[in-house]
Amino acid sequence: MREPSDLRNRGAPLIDGIDKVTGRARYTADLDHAAALVGRIFRSPVSHAEIKRLDVTKARELDGVFAVVTGADCPHTYGVLPVAMNEYPLARDRVRYRGEPIAAVAAVDTATAEQALDLIEFEMHELPAYYSSPAARADGATLLHDDKPGNIEREVHHVFGDVAAEFEQADLVREDRISCGEVNHAQIEPHAILAEYDPAAQRLTVQSVTQVGYYLQLMLARCLDMDVSRIRVIKPFIGGGFGARVEVLNFEIIAALLARAAAGTVMMQLTREENFLTHRARPHTEVTLKLGMRRNGQITACACEVVQRGGAYAGYGIVTILYAGALLQGIYNIPAVKFDGYRVYTNLPPCGAMRGHGSVDVRHAFECVLDRMARELGLDPFTVRRANLLEVPTRTMNQLVVNSCGLSECLDRVEHASNWRARFGKLPPGKGLGMACSHYVSGAAKPIHWTGEPHAVVNLKLDFDGSVTAFTGAADIGQGSSTMVAIAVAETLGVSLERVRVVAGDSAITPKDNGAYSSRITFMVGNAAIDAAKNLKAILIEAAARKLDARADDIECVSEQFSIGRRGQARLSFAEVVKEALIGGGALQVKGIFTCPPEAQGGKHKGGAVGSTMGFSYAAQVVELTVDEPTGAIRVDHVWTALDCGHAINPLAVEGQIQGSVWMGMGQALSEETHYLDGLPAHSNLLEYRVPTIAESPPIEVQIVESRDPYGPFGAKEASEGALASFPPAFVNAVANAIGIDFDQLPLTPDRVMQALVERRRKARASALKGQAS
Amino acid sequence: MTWSMPNFAIARPRDIESAIAAREQESLSVFLAGGTDLLVNLRLGLGHPKLLIDLSTIDALREKSLATPGIRIGACTSLMELTAMPAIRQRYRALAQAAEAVASPPTRTIATLGGNLCLQTRCVYYNQSEWWRRSNNYCLKHEGNVCHVAPQGQRCHAAFSGDLAPALMVLDAEVEIAGRNMQRRRVKLVDLYREDGRAHLALEADEILVCVHLPPDPPPSSYAKARVRGAIDFPLAGVAIALAADGKRLLQLRVGITGTNSRPFLLQGVDALIGGTLDGDALHYLETLVQKQVQPMRTTTISAHYRRLAAAALVRRLATVIAATPEETGQTTGIADDQDHRAAT
Amino acid sequence: MAQRPAESAKKQLVHLQLNGRWRDDAVAENQLLVDYLRETARLTGTKIGCDTGECGACTVLADGQPVPSCLVLALRCDGRSIETIEGLASQNRPHRLQRAFHEMLGTQCGFCTPGMIMAAEALLRRNSRPSKEEIKAALAGNICRCTGYVKIIESVHAAAEWSP
Repeated sequence: MREPSDLRNRGAPLIDGIDKVTGRARYTADLDHAAALVGRIFRSPVSHAEIKRLDVTKARELDGVFAVVTGADCPHTYGVLPVAMNEYPLARDRVRYRGEPIAAVAAVDTATAEQALDLIEFEMHELPAYYSSPAARADGATLLHDDKPGNIEREVHHVFGDVAAEFEQADLVREDRISCGEVNHAQIEPHAILAEYDPAAQRLTVQSVTQVGYYLQLMLARCLDMDVSRIRVIKPFIGGGFGARVEVLNFEIIAALLARAAAGTVMMQLTREENFLTHRARPHTEVTLKLGMRRNGQITACACEVVQRGGAYAGYGIVTILYAGALLQGIYNIPAVKFDGYRVYTNLPPCGAMRGHGSVDVRHAFECVLDRMARELGLDPFTVRRANLLEVPTRTMNQLVVNSCGLSECLDRVEHASNWRARFGKLPPGKGLGMACSHYVSGAAKPIHWTGEPHAVVNLKLDFDGSVTAFTGAADIGQGSSTMVAIAVAETLGVSLERVRVVAGDSAITPKDNGAYSSRITFMVGNAAIDAAKNLKAILIEAAARKLDARADDIECVSEQFSIGRRGQARLSFAEVVKEALIGGGALQVKGIFTCPPEAQGGKHKGGAVGSTMGFSYAAQVVELTVDEPTGAIRVDHVWTALDCGHAINPLAVEGQIQGSVWMGMGQALSEETHYLDGLPAHSNLLEYRVPTIAESPPIEVQIVESRDPYGPFGAKEASEGALASFPPAFVNAVANAIGIDFDQLPLTPDRVMQALVERRRKARASALKGQAS
Repeated sequence: MTWSMPNFAIARPRDIESAIAAREQESLSVFLAGGTDLLVNLRLGLGHPKLLIDLSTIDALREKSLATPGIRIGACTSLMELTAMPAIRQRYRALAQAAEAVASPPTRTIATLGGNLCLQTRCVYYNQSEWWRRSNNYCLKHEGNVCHVAPQGQRCHAAFSGDLAPALMVLDAEVEIAGRNMQRRRVKLVDLYREDGRAHLALEADEILVCVHLPPDPPPSSYAKARVRGAIDFPLAGVAIALAADGKRLLQLRVGITGTNSRPFLLQGVDALIGGTLDGDALHYLETLVQKQVQPMRTTTISAHYRRLAAAALVRRLATVIAATPEETGQTTGIADDQDHRAAT
Repeated sequence: MAQRPAESAKKQLVHLQLNGRWRDDAVAENQLLVDYLRETARLTGTKIGCDTGECGACTVLADGQPVPSCLVLALRCDGRSIETIEGLASQNRPHRLQRAFHEMLGTQCGFCTPGMIMAAEALLRRNSRPSKEEIKAALAGNICRCTGYVKIIESVHAAAEWSP
């Protein structure tokens, strides 16, 4: 049994954990909506068409229907990137993927709402549809968006260093083409929103599953032509995000449109199928990667082409394709890098950001090719990584600043923990070991909306009761960010964690925050929380100094006791100091901010801001697995992961985040993949979209490496995404180690493994026959 | 709930005759056993019955008898109960293994033996929402006239995906069926099925599967299924084998297969191996039989070719394992020992 | 002329024990147990994560056995005992599994947690010292998207070691 003291050493349980384990936590669908109308969406049955006629008269006349909205009710586009808002919440004139919202109804109950959907009349003129990047890019293909020739949303061509010359320096050049299937966040909580419109006050209040309340507020104001001050966004408990909710989603705007049209409250809960249609996840990606390497394992040059099948609308697409190129750098020392990226429009649900945004598939290809080259050169996989480590501090060719890097220690740790040297290459047939590395940003240094405001603001209130309340707009989506804020405040103030409450994610109460994405909260909001706590502490120290008749500089505060010097006799309790501090002014309100300096915000080249961050996390990983050749099934036996998160503010939560991200990488490697049948998602339930169960999930041993980032809060960096991207390549490398086959695709479902084994046998037979013949 | 459940009434009869009478009175009615498959399908819009006739209130369908020669198990016995029966675990091992391979523990608490045998066939074009199927002009199995899996053909290729049927087949089980006018008939389980995804059960609309009869002294048996995950998934191919040998000489061999065709079936042609030894040639012959007789189609997101090869591989594996340890396999107490590889569980 | 709205289903009375208390409720004949729990009994701890019965978030105990409450008609619970996550804590003191999931971080976003804990409770009632493999077998129908399950297994182990 673990004692409470053990728990303290390991880190703190989540401050809202008791609510979750007792069932008291209220998620959006749990909010009282007995009196609310039910919102449902009418979706396109076809992949690509011009809308010829849309008649909702009969639906509107149905008893029990309070509102019907269509594209005519919202002439504004929306989208997360100001430069690429090309989507309407409800289609106008044209639909571009099966499942795209066309109209919506609000009715007294679900049955009536569904009946109303059946009464909507819809006629269209179908257009050619494209379900793959090559088809959409082919000559003469109909354009999804008239202003995007070739159906290319964005092309990126970056060259750093003398690529041709550096390839000349290589002893070995290798090129592989590796494709990764499209995956989905599959957060367990389906999307939901409760939208309430008060016609008297002309105010809109929404409670939604968003990771980005601030963007939601902005986008609702834009699409509903409302003053942003009239909109309040509240974040209830959120059942996971993983990037699914880092941009405003069509159903959120639609529910608000319905609420206003009905002059009431609308609850909209999406089905699991609709979650898959909403999508916004990691695209199907083709990576063609060429590396040059010296005999000692040093990389001389990298040339990488990435094609992402982006779906029908822009979403985050530009950022995703830019990340794919930018994060080729920042982990190894590479003298020359060429990147050619293509984000392609296709008639499928739009892709977006997902844990490890933009980096995962490219890192997968990179680490697979590194391993293959190591094999060709007779080098150990660890040796090759070690031959290319960055020396910090440094600035990469694409102007990413790297202030701390614990990758070397990560490598040492997993090499030792997995007993790699004694075991690699010596396992019985069918068993394999593989390794890989990865990294990720601790928040995008340049925010999407450049306003001149700080990157993060945290307010603190200290009142007569001695309680400290931190107010933050940062969305805790289960990652434990509110707990991190509480710890940062408590540690800085020198008070117990129990004294600190955190109020998060209510635009009427908490200061604006950019949201839970790109692993920015710990770094940015953590720093802002520390800043706020320091400001509050200064006031308390002043008060204590007054009371003790001492200089503020001499006051020490330890364990809620204030004294002159560490061993001072005269001591004041926290309550006494608070009482003194409130005299004259009453309740204290202070704020803390954090801003990334301009020099950290990336290069001046086009798209150079993407990938820039104040701190990269680094991970190394070893995977051990068994391939069952007769059935093609792969069992992951064990995973060893080390992550440099700078400093673990809450080791328990850091460990949980690392395990979760590694395991999500495993899902992508092993079994998760979307399948469209002429644009219809065949995978739109948790039976066909195969999120791993506990049965096939391995032990994941975590090593936390602390490189103490000079700018991170207490030296901390991100811990939630960095380790994901090294799982798939470590896995594929381990499969190669086990059965001697290099796989160029993900996921390695048993049919693909079987197919490769069959082909190998066929080739062996053919060459044996040839041998006999000659 | 996010997809509304269609309206229906519930009848809760106390005996089989009342259930059949209710079925006769309302043509738009269906029998409800565990409901783990039916309720999901109803929410997807697959069928619009006016009446659900709940069989869980009928005690006669839950009776189990160990007294007769062999075993008799009521059709409404839950899979959880089934796997807990020592007699099943010890002597009818393939059945216990098959039941434990179904879905997950909470589902097995309510899913029933009869329900699993009468499971609706499955297909990626069929097990989808109303919006999905309507957008695809429906399909031959339901409301449409084209099988999207094989558009040129005349039949529905939806795959039968119950785990229990092949296990019971190799154990030579019979099912007892109640019909109108108190009639009862007993058929070999094999004869309950037809190779038609749209009408795979040889049952009249007003017939109820009452119980399963298992003959005594079964040969050692085992079940394995190919699937992507270690739980939840239906079989991509499921294989049961019963095999008795006298030393090296094969005395008895039955192979049952599910997940690949519209019906579960017994592999034909295995008798040629009786009296011989299960050597490499025999195993190769078995694999060839499997590959010839399974007919997987593109009804899942995993390739049909894989399901064919996996079925053959599992037959080889199970036959080898049982032949190697006939004594032990027949009376093992636990079934966890075979779970060392998830593809084989 | 306005169309007729959808007809609502007929209701029947059910008498069941919910978290230890007997109660009578009129339930629609087509109502699922999960909807009865969330909408009629207002116990929203039981979650809905899918529509097709495979996520396990709605797992509750029926006569002590774990069941997916989205696959059970409420009418079928007549005369039975149903236990939900809200019934586990006694006098607001967290149950040992709840304490363990909290302290060992067996919960992150928390959405799968109630179902996961109920499935684990069913296991511990029939097996007070489950092995790792037994825990995995018992929880195989509950999908968690956050934890990778590592800390869930640790939580169940820890709870098993704490006396009930």
